[in-house]
Amino acid sequence: MSVVLFRVDERLIHGQVVVGWGRPLSVRRIVVVADGLAEETLEQEIYRTGLPETMRATFWSVAEAVERVPALISDDVPTIVLSEDLSTMWRMAVEGVPIAEVNVGGLHAAEGRRRVLPYVCLGPEEEERIRSLEAAGVRVTARDVPASAPVRLAGRA
Amino acid sequence: MTERCAVVVAHGEMAEGLVSALARVAGPQENVWAIASDVEGGLAQAIEGLLAERAAGCEAVLFSDVDGGSCGQACRRLLARGVVRAVFHGVNLPMLFEFVFLQDRPFDEMVDEIVSKSRRSIGVHQ
Repeated sequence: MSVVLFRVDERLIHGQVVVGWGRPLSVRRIVVVADGLAEETLEQEIYRTGLPETMRATFWSVAEAVERVPALISDDVPTIVLSEDLSTMWRMAVEGVPIAEVNVGGLHAAEGRRRVLPYVCLGPEEEERIRSLEAAGVRVTARDVPASAPVRLAGRA
Repeated sequence: MTERCAVVVAHGEMAEGLVSALARVAGPQENVWAIASDVEGGLAQAIEGLLAERAAGCEAVLFSDVDGGSCGQACRRLLARGVVRAVFHGVNLPMLFEFVFLQDRPFDEMVDEIVSKSRRSIGVHQ
């Protein structure tokens, strides 16, 4: 399957995604799923600035992603699907996008969240989403870069 | 003339290290500060907070490490909002030397000179 990673990362496109995961997985396409960014051309330009020539980024709303991500799974372009929160992954999963595993790469400190890993802070909403995703058969694993050990978040939510 | 100030924004300890190295060579600079990428509460907010606290009325520029990296992205957002006047990327020590030397020049001239001179500082001897 050509979606090689479904990742939650509040910083969206940045070095860990482009270099850390992008190189070992030979990624050529990044799909950012975020309703708020689908029409934001300046933000899209800022995110695209750091991409190598071999990688391109597209920005879709959740509705567009639900419609179009399944086709990416059957094509041959290695792709990372990125969102800034677990709720977006949950919405895609319940709307029928086949997601086997969600990689959590960066959820940072905020009011109401507690730190469970140096790069993962969870609040009640995140904990509920992890439980829902796991109950739907989606593994939720924290791992900022491939060199880090994966950590199942189910027991910590 | 409006005073100028600068914030170096970079991953890990690079920004602190560059500002420390700058102080070692050119003496302590009262208008050059450092912010690391993993600052609590968000990078753009931290830069804006620092400028509001220490640099009111100052014409600010930012020096980021990687164009398009998370530091460069935060800097670009502040530029888009008019919080700062320029964002340099690919910061290195010669670039900061040039800011110290050229900060009193007309703005566009300062910017062009900083970029061209620091670009010439990169090379290799074999």
